[in-house]
Amino acid sequence: MIVRMVLGLLMTAVAFALAGRRVMTLYRLGRSGQPVEPDRLRDVPKRAWAVVTEVLGQSKLLKWSVPGIAHFAVFWGFIILGATIVEGYGALFVRDFGLPLIGDHAWLGFLEDLFIVAVLSGLVVFAILRLRQDPQREGRRSRFFGSHLGAAWLVLFMIFNVMWTLLLYRSAQINTGNFPFPRGAFASEAVALALAPAGRTANDVLEHVGILGSLGAVLAFLVILVYSKHLHIALAPFNVAFSRRPRGLGALLPVHSGGKPVDFEDPGEDDKIGRGVIEDFTWKGMLDFATCTECGRCQSQCPAWHTEKPLNPKLLIMSLRDHALAKAPYLLAGSDEERAKLPKDVLAEAERPLVGAVEAGGVIDPDVLWSCVTCGACVEQCPVDIEHVDHIVDMRRYQVLIESSFPSEAGAMLRNLERAGDPWGRGAKARLEWMAGLPFEVPVLNGEPIPGDVEYLLWVGCAGALDDRAKKTTRAVAELLHTAGVSFMVLGSQERCTGDPARRIGQELLFQELGKQNVETLNAAGARRIVVTCAHCFNAIRNEYPQLGGVYEVVHHTQLLSKLVAEGKLVPTHPVEETVTYHDPCYLGRHNRVFSPPREILGSVPGLRFNEMPRNSETSFCCGAGGARMWMEESIGTRINETRTDEALATGAEVVTAACPYCIVMLTDGVATRKQQGKAGEDVRVTDVSQMLLQSVRGPGDGDGSA
Amino acid sequence: METVLVLAERHGAGGGVCRPTHALLTLARRLGTPAAVLCGPADTASIEALGRFGAQAIWTVEASEVDDYPATARVEALVRLADQICPSCILVASGRGGEEIAARVAARLDSGVLTGAVDMWMGPDGPVVVQRVLDGSYLVESSVVRGITICTVFTEAVSPQPSAAEPAVRSLDLAFPQGMQAARLVSREPRGRPDPTAAAVVVAGGRGLGSRDGFELVERIAGALGGAACGSHTAAELGWCPRHQTVDQIGKAVHPLLYLALGVSGSVRHRAGMHGAQTVVAIDRDPEAPIFGVADLGVVGDVHEVAKELLTEIRRRRHGERLEWEA
Amino acid sequence: MRSQLNDADACAVDQAWRIAVRRTGAQVTAVTMGPAGAAAALRKSLVLGADEGVHILDDALAGCDALGTARVLAAAVRRLGFDLVLCGAAATGSATAVVPAMVAEILGVPVLCFADGLKLTGDGVEIRRDDGAGVQTWAATLPAVVSVTPRCGTPRYPRFAAVAQARHKLVRTWPLSRLGIRRSEVGLAAAVTRVRAVTPVEDRGRVVIDCDAPTAAARLADFLAQRELL
Repeated sequence: MIVRMVLGLLMTAVAFALAGRRVMTLYRLGRSGQPVEPDRLRDVPKRAWAVVTEVLGQSKLLKWSVPGIAHFAVFWGFIILGATIVEGYGALFVRDFGLPLIGDHAWLGFLEDLFIVAVLSGLVVFAILRLRQDPQREGRRSRFFGSHLGAAWLVLFMIFNVMWTLLLYRSAQINTGNFPFPRGAFASEAVALALAPAGRTANDVLEHVGILGSLGAVLAFLVILVYSKHLHIALAPFNVAFSRRPRGLGALLPVHSGGKPVDFEDPGEDDKIGRGVIEDFTWKGMLDFATCTECGRCQSQCPAWHTEKPLNPKLLIMSLRDHALAKAPYLLAGSDEERAKLPKDVLAEAERPLVGAVEAGGVIDPDVLWSCVTCGACVEQCPVDIEHVDHIVDMRRYQVLIESSFPSEAGAMLRNLERAGDPWGRGAKARLEWMAGLPFEVPVLNGEPIPGDVEYLLWVGCAGALDDRAKKTTRAVAELLHTAGVSFMVLGSQERCTGDPARRIGQELLFQELGKQNVETLNAAGARRIVVTCAHCFNAIRNEYPQLGGVYEVVHHTQLLSKLVAEGKLVPTHPVEETVTYHDPCYLGRHNRVFSPPREILGSVPGLRFNEMPRNSETSFCCGAGGARMWMEESIGTRINETRTDEALATGAEVVTAACPYCIVMLTDGVATRKQQGKAGEDVRVTDVSQMLLQSVRGPGDGDGSA
Repeated sequence: METVLVLAERHGAGGGVCRPTHALLTLARRLGTPAAVLCGPADTASIEALGRFGAQAIWTVEASEVDDYPATARVEALVRLADQICPSCILVASGRGGEEIAARVAARLDSGVLTGAVDMWMGPDGPVVVQRVLDGSYLVESSVVRGITICTVFTEAVSPQPSAAEPAVRSLDLAFPQGMQAARLVSREPRGRPDPTAAAVVVAGGRGLGSRDGFELVERIAGALGGAACGSHTAAELGWCPRHQTVDQIGKAVHPLLYLALGVSGSVRHRAGMHGAQTVVAIDRDPEAPIFGVADLGVVGDVHEVAKELLTEIRRRRHGERLEWEA
Repeated sequence: MRSQLNDADACAVDQAWRIAVRRTGAQVTAVTMGPAGAAAALRKSLVLGADEGVHILDDALAGCDALGTARVLAAAVRRLGFDLVLCGAAATGSATAVVPAMVAEILGVPVLCFADGLKLTGDGVEIRRDDGAGVQTWAATLPAVVSVTPRCGTPRYPRFAAVAQARHKLVRTWPLSRLGIRRSEVGLAAAVTRVRAVTPVEDRGRVVIDCDAPTAAARLADFLAQRELL
């Protein structure tokens, strides 16, 4: 007994020393990042609930049924089997140690054994998944492409070791009579039966070996854990706790430096704009990188990765993590002399630019950074709430504002926004053109506040006013509102771009300028309820303008039209005998959780046959225009919009509908290309959902029904 | 009657007097007695042409400075003459050279200058000049209240009318004052194929050209005009031109003096790439195409036919006729 | 009304910056004459590379014509001292197209107009200019005035540091008295040209021809020739 106690405690001491040192380094590395945005430390009840649902409830993991259930089993196994670790340490001192009060209850023994079996089953499932998704065979298609496979198998192996040594120990304990549970532990009892013939002495030995083996496996696992991605089991609850609530989607945060928002009018001398080096990330960012489990769920949804571009959200996070770890000695060194004494490869690592070409030693290649469409599919999938999009935009902010280094063709969009207030440079006066020829008058605000009896301000947006296709949507919505008797006004030439493309490309200063201008205009007009036809305007005004002092009740046109149909103010009477499908715009659906209203509208049109695309709602596949990519050339890999178009065409739809002008432009281009290649029927068209409704409400005739 | 001085221009260094000068003389006749200033060799044909359009006096300037310092020479000539004969007006054809000359003469004579005239007539208090302003949306009638009325004229808006006269020809001696520094014309070369963003002429083709072969027209016309050949975004998508040669929101943004659009519909993304163009000419089949909203001159018709005829016409004209400072 | 810096002016500032950045001790001063809103264009010049700005602001200047404007600008430039004056070339036929040449004449220095390309040479400055069928090269010794077209280089996209620094650059505001010009010499009352009537145009001079191809081609060619484009 003494021997095993000494050995046990010795092992523990060594393991804790090794692991502790590593934890200390990781902690200090995390702290070398910037302080976090204040909101992350607020709203504790919401954060606590998030931990309960996402960690204890494994909610995001269960979205993928098979791996989710397996992981649920293994996760809860670790929690429940924590009891066995306590029992094990207790048994170092008292051979038949049982937990106080419940130590001999059958249900506890049963529970422990149940989870041993569950974990072992989970491991089998994981092994099968990894074999079926072997990147050697599947290449980029496998979500494990680029993950550290050896380390992953080692982890599975170690968990297996922990389980079988535990089972061995328990069954030997049963045979030596030291087992605390008289009944309930079915699995241990079964193995005990198999071991019983070996005799008392053998089982004694097995018991001692078993306990040391069991504790040893756990301790070895502990040390391996802190050096591998499996550290997520300790970090994930914290990462979830400190993540943006309700999720890292929708609004982007303003630029913060040192935990405080940067005032672009009067920036501090040492203010860090964006992320230029790894230590510019906040400690939450560092925590994000460390928590990554390399599961690849993000990668499996990324539209850039699916179209042969180099951007892979998982590899992005892993690169940042590996770079941080490699640079850690440099970052944690106390003085210049200490730094000078560091090994060459660490110093070389410290010299690497954060964003730069491979030849220049860059950690993140510019093509990776600029391929992102900010669709948020990665954030949606990540089981540990890593905020990939935020990190990408923060790196973009540094590149744009500090280095002035970004895809040059986007410069035209930025210059046009500065000069004319819209991305095409047409100017304020052109914003009234869409109204020409409407059968009714659209009241335009001019400097006066909105009269009290006007229900909505219709925010037309740049595309809605200036793009030939989007103008049709605006006209359709205006006509529907007019038909429904909803009174509304427009700002006309007082509108400016909401600033969404500027913010997404990283030009935060320009976003703030445009946003503040718009907020001033909206507040002066006394706007309370705003209806928008563009998903990006929707996101910007609803979620981001509060940061600039503009708080309004913002609805998307599909939400309002759906409500009007439900209230009977719009009656779609004329049947439209066509097959349609609906593409969820990322900024309406995933970022803002508006999924049903467009479907309700389509459902209300008689005669319409609706076919859902495989990737819809939360898992909708981006059209390719987000992240300011509408204003950049797509020259790598295949086209995102064409990929999505193929998916839409495969539903057999004659009409592809969407609810955002960006999506409509991209899908229209995609359909045109496919038509030209003979891969799409001549009568396939792309329209906004509102145009389908208008067609049904108004009836056949010369319509703006087609794109 | 007051004298009206006209700065005569010719085709090429030794060529004959050209249409803009005929137009200027036509206007000058409405305002007074036309007198022409002819720089370069005083050949019979030019003198005869000036007389045919009503010049009563011709001042010839044959100094070497006329070729080496073209702008300054003409400025000095006009200023010298203005001191001598005190004209009521000085008329110069609008253009890069003309604007500079008129501006400098006005500064020297402390007189008013009115640019871009499309019409002139004699009012009760003196010459009245009609200008088109704000992208052609307004017609403004102005007059000069002090000094000589110096005017640059959009001669294409004026139809030349002959009115024969017997001009008295005199030569004007020109010698630059001592120590005067002036801008010297160093050389002149035919245009190579420029980069679209730096090109003074951009020819762009769109979907209306129908095919890759049809797109060749763009290159031929660009070659004939010494400009850059580009395509719209659609043309690049269809593979008719390389992606880096598109005029588009995310392609090249061009600021040419001439933008010639063949078969381009003029979507907002295309217009974003060419709204810096000074003069826009469009040829397209569809009269409703948005490009006609921004074109200074539009032709509705079959793109191939019109473009081919244009190519012939350009080549025909290129074969001899040049403006004065073109060597 | 915040004024904008137009393409040609932006190119002018950018060219000035490119010249100055290669020479120690070279200084770029942006000068504008206009109402209070013109300061925004001046600030933009500072972001694009000018070291300091001068805003000539005086209500006597309201209604100033081209000659008056040129006098004021020439006086300012003379007071500042210069080797090279760069301006954005307005489109031919516009009212302000004449200002750079007038400024040069008043200052008694050579002027090089409508530069599509610009470079400093050993003893002066050389420009490239398109004339319709070819490219002319003009040269002049310094001091000189050059007007620059939007084809003359592409201004770089400014970094945030440039924007932040520009806020601290000096902008001086000069009334007419600082230039030694009397109020009676400028402004609407002193203008040499006067507008008598303004009429809106129905059809805005956008000519659309719809006839047979040879006629259309001839009219097109005429159009181009008139504008020195052929």
